[in-house]
Order: sequence, then structure tokens, then C-alpha cells
Amino acid sequence: MNNRLRELRDAHGWSQGELAERLDVSRQTVNALETGKYDPSLPLAFRIARLFGQAIESIFLPEN
Amino acid sequence: MTLRRFMWIFLVVALGAAALAVAGRWWLHWPDDVVGMWTGIAAGYLLGALLFLLVPRWWRTHCDEMYAQPASRRYQRAMWPIMAGYALSLFLSVWLIKQGISSVPLRALVALLPVVAIALFMRAALRYLREIDELQRRIETESIGIASLLVALVYFAGGLLEKAKVVQVDAGVAMIWVFPLLCLVYGIAKMILTKRYL
Repeated sequence: MNNRLRELRDAHGWSQGELAERLDVSRQTVNALETGKYDPSLPLAFRIARLFGQAIESIFLPEN
Repeated sequence: MTLRRFMWIFLVVALGAAALAVAGRWWLHWPDDVVGMWTGIAAGYLLGALLFLLVPRWWRTHCDEMYAQPASRRYQRAMWPIMAGYALSLFLSVWLIKQGISSVPLRALVALLPVVAIALFMRAALRYLREIDELQRRIETESIGIASLLVALVYFAGGLLEKAKVVQVDAGVAMIWVFPLLCLVYGIAKMILTKRYL
């Protein structure tokens, strides 16, 4: 699954560590999400969407 | 706490144990088995310090970041007294058994003393597992799963070889090594799985 996490984080001027703190996860998890190595659970995806004030489907995009 | 700090702590303990071994051998005239015990402790901690020194940089960075997480800090705070208690109870248990205890229930109780610390360690590990974030929990549970399956496989193969009289292993030694083997395979599996997500 692709996502716009890095783009949204950059737009807010946050570092990976700052975003991790806001989401209550580790920096490695944020990095794995951004690089597409890990797809979040539904609760974490909702937390991300709520943080950026966007719908889940506008942040996380299917591969095709 | 960082891996480097762990390395220094291990080095200091190794030097302290080596100093005791030397003092016991040359000045205090301790029995050979006591000197041997402190030499063994020094060698073990020195090996530990060397392992901390030789870990790849990516793993050191990862560990240092993870150790700074609140769940890891709580886990470490819980682990220090548990490991100290384990070391003390192990020494006490082995020493008391060597003195000879005729009552079987009492001997069983003394022999099982170190189990208390291991049970507390498992409780702390489970709490840690519940507190970490979902990706770390996935890595941890997958590592524990791989370790359990691999060690079970090794022990099953060992049991078959023992029954076929190909190898002969002392049952007590084999059982004691289950937990250290689980920890070793878990550690290696965790390193490999962590690298996948970096």
C-alpha cells in the first residue's frame, strides 16, 4: 500500500520523531510506514487520518 | 541507557570479577573453585562487553532509540532488580544444594529459587509486549514464534537422536538450556526482522 505520510509530515514541518510522538509510536514505525514497509492497523490509520484532518483513503492508497 | 553504556557496565563488572579472582588466587588464598567461578564471571562479562562493542551500527542506533521509549525504560527499570535477584538466588541455590540438604521437599524448594526471578522476568516481558507499538509488537511476537518453533524442532530432533542412542545428553542440562536457547534464537530473529523494517 502506498501512502502520503512523508508528504503530509513535511507539509507540517515535523520530523519523524515528532510525528512518532504525536502518534504514540516509535520513530522506526513512522519510518517503516513512510517507506511502505509496514501497513498500519485500522486504529493507527484512523489516528493518522485524524491528526492530519484527512480521510484515510486520501492518505493510504492501494498499490494499483 | 544506551548499548555503549551497557558495554561499559559489563566491562567494569568483568574487571571487578577479574580483580577478585586475582586477589583470591594470590592474596586471599581462596579455594580453586571460588577463583574459577570469579574467573568465569569475568570471562562471561568480558565476552558480553565485546559483543556490545561489535554489534553493527544500525542495530546500535535502533537499540538506543528503542531504549529511550517509555515502555523500554519501564522494562529496564523492572529488569535490573530481577536480574540481580536471579544472580543472587542462583548462587544461593547452588551453594545450598552443594552443602547437602537431606529433606527432598526443602531441596526442591531451594533448587527452584532462581525460577522466581525468571517468572518475574516473564511478567515484565509480557507487560513490555503489551506496551510497545504495533510494529514493534509484531517484530517481538514473530521473533518469539520463530524461537519457539526452532527450539522445539531442535529438541524434537535431539529427542529422536537420544532415543536412537546416537547422542547422550543429560536430561537436566538439556532442560536448563531450553530458556537460554529460546533467548538466543529470539535475539537473532529480532535482529533479522528489525532490519526488514529499517
